[in-house]
Amino acid sequence: MAIPISQMWTVSTYLLKKKLAGEKRFALTLMLEPLFRCSLACAGCGKVQYPPHILKRQLTPEECFAAADECGAPMVAIPGGEPLLHPQIVEIVNGLIARKKYVYLCTNALELKRRLPEFTPSKYLTFSVHLDGQREHHDLSVCREGGYDIAVEGIKEAVKRGFRVTTNATFFDGVDPNSARAFFDEVMAMGVEGIILSPGYSYDKAPDQNHFMGRARVRRLFRAILSNRKPTWKFNMSPLFMEFLMGDRNYECSPWGMPTYNIFGWQKPCYLLQEGYAESFKELLETTAWENYGVASGNPKCSNCMVSCGYETTANIDGFGTLKGFWGMARGNFRKYRDQNALKLLDEPTISGPEPLTQIVENDRSHEENNR
Amino acid sequence: MSVEVTKYTLEQVEALELAPGTGHENLEGWVPTLASEDDLRQVIEKAFDYRGDVTLTLKNGDRIEAYIFNRHAASTLADSWVQYFTAGAPEKRKVDYAEIAVIEFSGKDRAAGKHWEDWVKHYNERKAAGETNIALAPEALE
Repeated sequence: MAIPISQMWTVSTYLLKKKLAGEKRFALTLMLEPLFRCSLACAGCGKVQYPPHILKRQLTPEECFAAADECGAPMVAIPGGEPLLHPQIVEIVNGLIARKKYVYLCTNALELKRRLPEFTPSKYLTFSVHLDGQREHHDLSVCREGGYDIAVEGIKEAVKRGFRVTTNATFFDGVDPNSARAFFDEVMAMGVEGIILSPGYSYDKAPDQNHFMGRARVRRLFRAILSNRKPTWKFNMSPLFMEFLMGDRNYECSPWGMPTYNIFGWQKPCYLLQEGYAESFKELLETTAWENYGVASGNPKCSNCMVSCGYETTANIDGFGTLKGFWGMARGNFRKYRDQNALKLLDEPTISGPEPLTQIVENDRSHEENNR
Repeated sequence: MSVEVTKYTLEQVEALELAPGTGHENLEGWVPTLASEDDLRQVIEKAFDYRGDVTLTLKNGDRIEAYIFNRHAASTLADSWVQYFTAGAPEKRKVDYAEIAVIEFSGKDRAAGKHWEDWVKHYNERKAAGETNIALAPEALE
């Protein structure tokens, strides 16, 4: 179990209060985007394609605190853009911690090692470092050779200084499940608290529009990589959400559960789609046609989405809101998910994917063969 | 299934192997004719979706170069508005649909012209030439 008991207690009591109050829609995690500026130019990202005058804008600490106070979510994820490029990011993080928010600062870690002395370790602060896989895969994914090594240096320094650290990986089509499993070994050996995973979402503004997995392929990939788990692997995710990714559970989207606030306002309807903005969280809840989103709606924009910002809230509500869900969650924390068929999936050639780079073709695979 | 599909069944969704990407409309430099209210509404939707600045010419002759990030389409043009940022002003601004005479897609489309395959080609060429620390850099902000 990677998530500390205090955080689980906070989340569970928050969800219980919402249930007792009869609130159908509420924020569980605020996705706070203080800026869109980034130091990477990843092909799969649809978040940072804006004119320069937009990229230069940023939320003030006061705007960040007002958003956190207004929506009341016990957890705040700070993606972007690259949050460490915000000149007041330390003030923003400290202000959120003072409000007892569990903060996940999502970073590509290019600046992490240099900026660490400005932060103070806390149970409320986690650096969630973007690492998409092993060195070659990550560097290719973020379109930057050497990005992996810099990020790993940052991770090791953060762990050494006593910070909570997770990695977060986004998987697109063509991911080799054996390499993904070897990657889990690598990051756990760095001393991180846990791993966060997500299938890529088909951002319509992402430069690359050809490597988004559909649901069938997502489930096959995650069944291959998340079955037959090693005892050393820890995941900073709901076990029920991981079972959803593996195809063992069906959930509907809760897009209101992780609302997004950025320089434009409260984003409708979710972190991934931009169909307009509201001035307040209340307006977001009241004026969004929620029935038009999620897989049951038939909306093509939601058809391949299995991303945590929509489905992990549902998994958490299930886990903390029903006895059956709670039992499944408790059990999931200790299960190894042994599955012979999933082992066979590891032997199948990768179905398709990006054109291989020379370094990947020549990569020594012997370490992966030991990873079964 | 293709990007033209407007609604999926659950069975179709669960069977999807690859999610269709979005076709990119080349709007940069476009100055559409706004002959009717429908034209105006459709073009504003495209401007809202466009990842570049547009230039709005208002009926009073004012010109505004702006990034449109929000719109509210009501039953009348007078009750409908677009919300935008300009390079020179810190605050969000609004203008009614009814005041807009011309929309030019004048700014560079920041979501166009970059493909995975281009990066792979770029990488392999430089690697073959013996270069190291190969990367795509974000565009300069000036």
